[in-house]
Amino acid sequence: MAMTRDEIFKEVQGVLVDALGVDDDEVTPDATLMGDLGAESIDFLDIVFRMEKAFGIKIPREELFPAESLVSNKEFISNGKLTHQGIEELRKRMPHTDFTEFVDDPAVSKIGDLFTVDALVNFVEGKINA
Amino acid sequence: MKFILIDKIVKIEAGKEIQTIKNVSLSEEYLGDHFPIFPVLPGVFLLQGLVESACWLVRHSENFAHSMVLLTQAKNVKYKSFAAPGMNIQYTVTAKSIEENLSSFSGVGSCDGQAIVEARFSLRHFNLAERDHKLAIEDGHIVEKLKERYRLLASGLIGA
Amino acid sequence: MRWIWIDKFIEFNSGSNAVAIKNVTMAEEHLHDNFPGFPIMPECLMIESMAQTAGILVGHARDFKEKVILAKISKAVFFNFVRPGDTLKIHAKIESIAPEAASTTGKITCGDEIIAEIDLMFSHIDQNLAGKQFPQENFVFTDLFAVVLRASGIEAPAWGVSK
Repeated sequence: MAMTRDEIFKEVQGVLVDALGVDDDEVTPDATLMGDLGAESIDFLDIVFRMEKAFGIKIPREELFPAESLVSNKEFISNGKLTHQGIEELRKRMPHTDFTEFVDDPAVSKIGDLFTVDALVNFVEGKINA
Repeated sequence: MKFILIDKIVKIEAGKEIQTIKNVSLSEEYLGDHFPIFPVLPGVFLLQGLVESACWLVRHSENFAHSMVLLTQAKNVKYKSFAAPGMNIQYTVTAKSIEENLSSFSGVGSCDGQAIVEARFSLRHFNLAERDHKLAIEDGHIVEKLKERYRLLASGLIGA
Repeated sequence: MRWIWIDKFIEFNSGSNAVAIKNVTMAEEHLHDNFPGFPIMPECLMIESMAQTAGILVGHARDFKEKVILAKISKAVFFNFVRPGDTLKIHAKIESIAPEAASTTGKITCGDEIIAEIDLMFSHIDQNLAGKQFPQENFVFTDLFAVVLRASGIEAPAWGVSK
């Protein structure tokens, strides 16, 4: 079922409004899920469930939010920042994400900023139009 | 068990905000079942603490005009941490709007700065006599009892 | 008061949906504070009756291996109040279930009337709260739940944690 980017965005917007209790106009393409929209651990699971239903796809949690297993691996983390290997590994697992700003300061604490509404839309686009 | 899920009103600003506290103690009997070997205040009672706080804000702001102030809707109630015996929970509830029969709030419960629960919810307020005029006696009785309860909960406030 | 807010299952389809009932009775002490002279079931306890119905449904679907805990009330809407003498029917349905969590939807009815609509999210805490240590035993599913399940003719593991 091929969808236009606009259609996907509208659907993702609806999911985030329901899961996070935010308003339509707060869900802009570059809004971060955690920083701007207040999403937390349980919300990420809620989002995954709702997206699976909305788009009729299966989303293993690891695929959408792969950072968790990565940050516990000593090869990828040093002094609270991702090593070069870590950045490359994360890039591989999150091809739908924009890393340009992140590479300037690859702090673990900033990984959350990578999860933008845009990244979510890219992810869905990749999955359903594959 | 007494169905009162806050212990004290520490601050109240009519129409705007209320702050209350609840002590969690092992002597609360339901903790024996929730859970055995891991007693924590049930999540719904954390929500109830927020709801009760908001109810007092409404009652105080409208001068106890209605006997019934009930939860009508709650959304995105999130439980971030456990409330265990020995903890003191601080609830802060902010009114988004308080109208004659409907009000809406956002609230947070925390302990020593650590968030435990957050919620957005709405209350509806009415008198039983609106449904059945014979229940006006019940309305009067409820309001009288709740005014007593309010005096007790707010006794620490200056000029309550 | 015991922390059990459902009396019996009248329908139970593992992995899918269930219906439980709760009788509301004057004998429940807490009702008389809510409110004095006009007891009604507190809304938060209606939410708990849904949490227990849905929680057991979710737990049963995974053989009660996980500690299933209420993590989020996505939405709870109430249309009316209920009084002693009323019998509630709590209808719960599993929407999604994964190793770490589950989401459910449901409604509470009394006779023909819809009293509430409640959607919940549960967390399977051993899989989720990284770093936090919990006792080994599944303390969430107590002997009270076993009583309810067995009385409803549903097989229950030999619970629970001895008091």
